[in-house]
Amino acid sequence: MITRRLMGGMAAIAMSLAAMAVRAEPYLAVQQGYKCVACHVNPTGGGMRNAFGNAFAQNVLPAHRIDVGDDSWTGAINRYVMLGGDVRADWTATEIPHQQQTNEFDVSDARVYLNVEPIPGRLSVYLDERVAPGSATNLEAYVRYWTADQAWFVQAGRMYLPYGLRLEDDSAFTRTVPGINMTTSDTGIEVGWESPHWSAQLALSNGSAGGPENDSGKQVTGQAAYVEPRWRVGLASSLNQSDAGDRSTYGLFGGLRTGPVAWLAEADLVVDDGFPEGTRDMVSALLGADWAVIRGHNLKLTAEWFDPDRDVDNDEQTRWSAVYEYSPIQFLQLRGGARFYDGIPQNDLQNRTLYFLELHGFF
Amino acid sequence: MLAQIAGCAGNGDGLDASGRPNSSGDGSGPLTPDFASIQANVFTPICTQCHVGANAPQGLRLDAANSYGALVGVASSEQPGQLRVRPGDPANSYLIQKLEGRASVGARMPLGQPALPDATIQVIREWIASGATRAAAIGATAFAVETVSAAPASLAIAMTRPADASLVNSTTVMLQKVDTRSGEPADVPARAAISPVNDSLLVLTPDQALAAGQYRLTLRGTGASALADWNAAVLDGDGDGSAGGDYVQTLVIGGAP
Repeated sequence: MITRRLMGGMAAIAMSLAAMAVRAEPYLAVQQGYKCVACHVNPTGGGMRNAFGNAFAQNVLPAHRIDVGDDSWTGAINRYVMLGGDVRADWTATEIPHQQQTNEFDVSDARVYLNVEPIPGRLSVYLDERVAPGSATNLEAYVRYWTADQAWFVQAGRMYLPYGLRLEDDSAFTRTVPGINMTTSDTGIEVGWESPHWSAQLALSNGSAGGPENDSGKQVTGQAAYVEPRWRVGLASSLNQSDAGDRSTYGLFGGLRTGPVAWLAEADLVVDDGFPEGTRDMVSALLGADWAVIRGHNLKLTAEWFDPDRDVDNDEQTRWSAVYEYSPIQFLQLRGGARFYDGIPQNDLQNRTLYFLELHGFF
Repeated sequence: MLAQIAGCAGNGDGLDASGRPNSSGDGSGPLTPDFASIQANVFTPICTQCHVGANAPQGLRLDAANSYGALVGVASSEQPGQLRVRPGDPANSYLIQKLEGRASVGARMPLGQPALPDATIQVIREWIASGATRAAAIGATAFAVETVSAAPASLAIAMTRPADASLVNSTTVMLQKVDTRSGEPADVPARAAISPVNDSLLVLTPDQALAAGQYRLTLRGTGASALADWNAAVLDGDGDGSAGGDYVQTLVIGGAP
């Protein structure tokens, strides 16, 4: 009964706060004026959705809601245990100049999340396990402790590092170039602070991007974001010291809501000492617009830019994406789109075009 | 940032296929089953979009300076029971399994990009089947010393390819402290071994941290128990391009003369 009441309350809040149909990702937060922690167990977003996030996914995101009665899914098995997951099944066609077109079906990602709170609201043990493709792989495993006022937390274990816009698309330049994304978790400790308008985290980790630590150098990663209902801005930075060369990363990111359109932007500078010729300065940038056309429909347009070496001319790359997202019912989404890569003419891969369809189920 | 995004991609003038200046001489050309060609045509232009720098996924850096040492004879961090490249055995090399999408862990590589053409993977298979040597990459077929890094706690000696572990001992890898006044060397007790994470790397660990001073490192390439690789190719210590000759280098620890 308690669960039902909680679910009903959450649904009512979600319905009242949200008018546009959107799906999880940073643009959702921008469109609704939320912080990541509003819908996700992890204060920096991504992974398991909390009770509010599940209510939102059922009552606001889909074009139509299939009535399952009063006992809707909240993710909570009981007061102490929550379960969640994501499965993405894709069909992808790729065109590369001078090569035959290829296409394939694939399960690009399947994940199961488990959150146990032996002390509800204060102490949690969280697991993020990728079960496909390939055999099970742990991506996150940490213990988190919240202070009684829910303002501070500290977590230790394997985790995604806090840096910039946590886009679902890990192939975006702003995710691959800094190298901090949702395929490369790291092991360490993180301290975070949440206030009505601020969200800040600082992490100390091995800096081995999922690999074994083989030197004494460590990675320090931090970000701070100021959030207003209509806009937000944040700074992020990371310094990874390693015997093979240090890597410094600096990011500026933000979001703005203009009517039904949520704008996202991020720019990153990466200074890496580990190249054969010495230091290389790289820059990546993203500008995206998400237009909530009608309830359950979202059009995503993204422009990206990447300079692999500031000291070398004529080597820049761009990527343009157009993606349509349709959420017909709760916990289900159909996505289709195209990504157009443009790079130097002598590299065919930098000039490929990718078309995809995706069925995304989550809970 | 808006101006940058609105700009076009580079026209590639003066660059090779990897986007590097043509003068960099990365050896790109038709893909052939040798390391230099695979580096120039696959690892550098494709893999280093992610596998580069201190944040390289799984710590696997595939730029030209690091890829060989990180791949050949090195255990996978995802599957520690498998070598990333097992010379002579492409089917059981984790690199091939990842490229073919049949690895037991994680997604097919390159992640977020189209799979490599079968013909490309076949060339990499051929390189591994023929021993996964680095010879073509360094322009020599000799088994030789590439670099030596010295610190008080240990010395790291990078070889052009893996050494025969049974020949790595205190008689083939020796360290002596040189008296700067008399010039006389004195043996320094130390243990020589192959690095557990890179079998092209020899690690010499002194029993006690080295004091500041001048040292002489010798790798024996002469005599019946000379250092050799797994194919019994003896160390080219004198750098004349053919097997044989001791490798001798003077090192300074702690800024001493």
